[in-house]
Amino acid sequence: MTDRRANAQSFETLAMPLFASLYNFAHWLTQNQEEAEDLVQEVYLEAWKSFHRFETGTNCRAWLFKILFHRLHHFRRRWAKAARVEAFEKPEDQESVAAEPPVAHEIHDEDVLGALEKVPADFREVVLLADVQEFSYKEIADTLKLPLGTVMSRLSRGRKLLRGELAEVASTYGIKPAKDQASTGESA
Amino acid sequence: MNVLTFDSRQCERIRRHLDAYLSNELLVETTSEILRHLETCEACTRELETRTRVRDFVRRAATNLMPPEELRLSIQRRLRETQPGFWAGSRQLNWAVALAGIVVIVLGGIVTHEWVRVVRGRRIVAGVLAIGVADHVQCAIKGHNYPEVANPPEVLRKKLGPQYAGLLEVVHQNLPGFEVLEAHICSIPGSSRKYVHFITRGRGTILSVILTRNDGAQLPSGGAFRTVVAGHVNLYAAREQGMNVAGFESRGYLGFVVSDLDRNVTLQIADQLAPPLNAALQTAG
Repeated sequence: MTDRRANAQSFETLAMPLFASLYNFAHWLTQNQEEAEDLVQEVYLEAWKSFHRFETGTNCRAWLFKILFHRLHHFRRRWAKAARVEAFEKPEDQESVAAEPPVAHEIHDEDVLGALEKVPADFREVVLLADVQEFSYKEIADTLKLPLGTVMSRLSRGRKLLRGELAEVASTYGIKPAKDQASTGESA
Repeated sequence: MNVLTFDSRQCERIRRHLDAYLSNELLVETTSEILRHLETCEACTRELETRTRVRDFVRRAATNLMPPEELRLSIQRRLRETQPGFWAGSRQLNWAVALAGIVVIVLGGIVTHEWVRVVRGRRIVAGVLAIGVADHVQCAIKGHNYPEVANPPEVLRKKLGPQYAGLLEVVHQNLPGFEVLEAHICSIPGSSRKYVHFITRGRGTILSVILTRNDGAQLPSGGAFRTVVAGHVNLYAAREQGMNVAGFESRGYLGFVVSDLDRNVTLQIADQLAPPLNAALQTAG
């Protein structure tokens, strides 16, 4: 078997099993099935073209996601969509701990997805990379080309925003709003 | 914004670290400090539980979108179209020359071609079956995530959730001589793949029965690479990380029987399990 055939085979073994993961993520980034399909297709073609640069033994998932964000950048320009949300980018208030609202023990997937959609894209991306794709902070920083501190603050803020949205859902399930529990829940 | 007051400054300090703790990004010393605090602080324990729950909700909800099969096929088709150029290794190489080369190779070396196909197929089989072995080794063997005394069936059904609870009985009934110690949904660090994992004990060893959505991983079609046929299910066998594994594909899932038992014994067990699991997966969806 030639090296290149071996390459083709290892590409199929390493990269193709990540197809569903990439598609799910692309769908979140684009919020549109057709654009997600185009994006994933381009990621695979780009990855295949540059597979000779992939170092065997390193994290193929991280490498593919890096390409995904790189392609997304081009796509966003192509779609002329300014999807970035800068307004929320303010320093975290480290001196106080925000109210930590209660969240129901079981929430329907559709409600979770609805809540996630309300979180601004910049924060949502980091939450999804950390909590769903289980990337390390450093991998996220490399993928998004962001400083580590920004990754950490976006993750923290994103999780808080999401929790706030889920608490809204919780209140529709009959769970008490945060204010009612703040005085009793934190008396350690 | 509501600001909570804490009786303990320690709680406030711990909560600043909870995000990093949840992402497994803390130094061992800080992690130990948090664990010590959690032992005595109910409020922070509750807070961590809530944050973990939120993360698990997102993890579950955000991965349930199945990509269109047509997209995967279209990508594979386009990749195949680009392969000859890539293999040729030269940008100047003309398509006609590449094509002629391929014709010569096909005509001149059917035996070689067949050999390459067999080797490639075997490697693909080993690659796919390694998915199941990885979970058995990580979760059952290294992680030892099972009790010495079997968890009661109602606990296991709860852990499996409504979608997979019905499979417990299928595994139990079709695995004579083995006791189901544990059943749960698990994953391996660094991967979002979810495994439905049954950990069983019998014949002096631990044996895992594992199901996972195929997520694009496919066993090669056709009869050349399968080892045996159980009912209407093709069984494939390999040896990975010192374990024997028998695997099959069923209704969008990959199924594995993994243990350090003899290859033929592992295959016999899979032979009994695969057809009823295949039938049960039809209802699990």
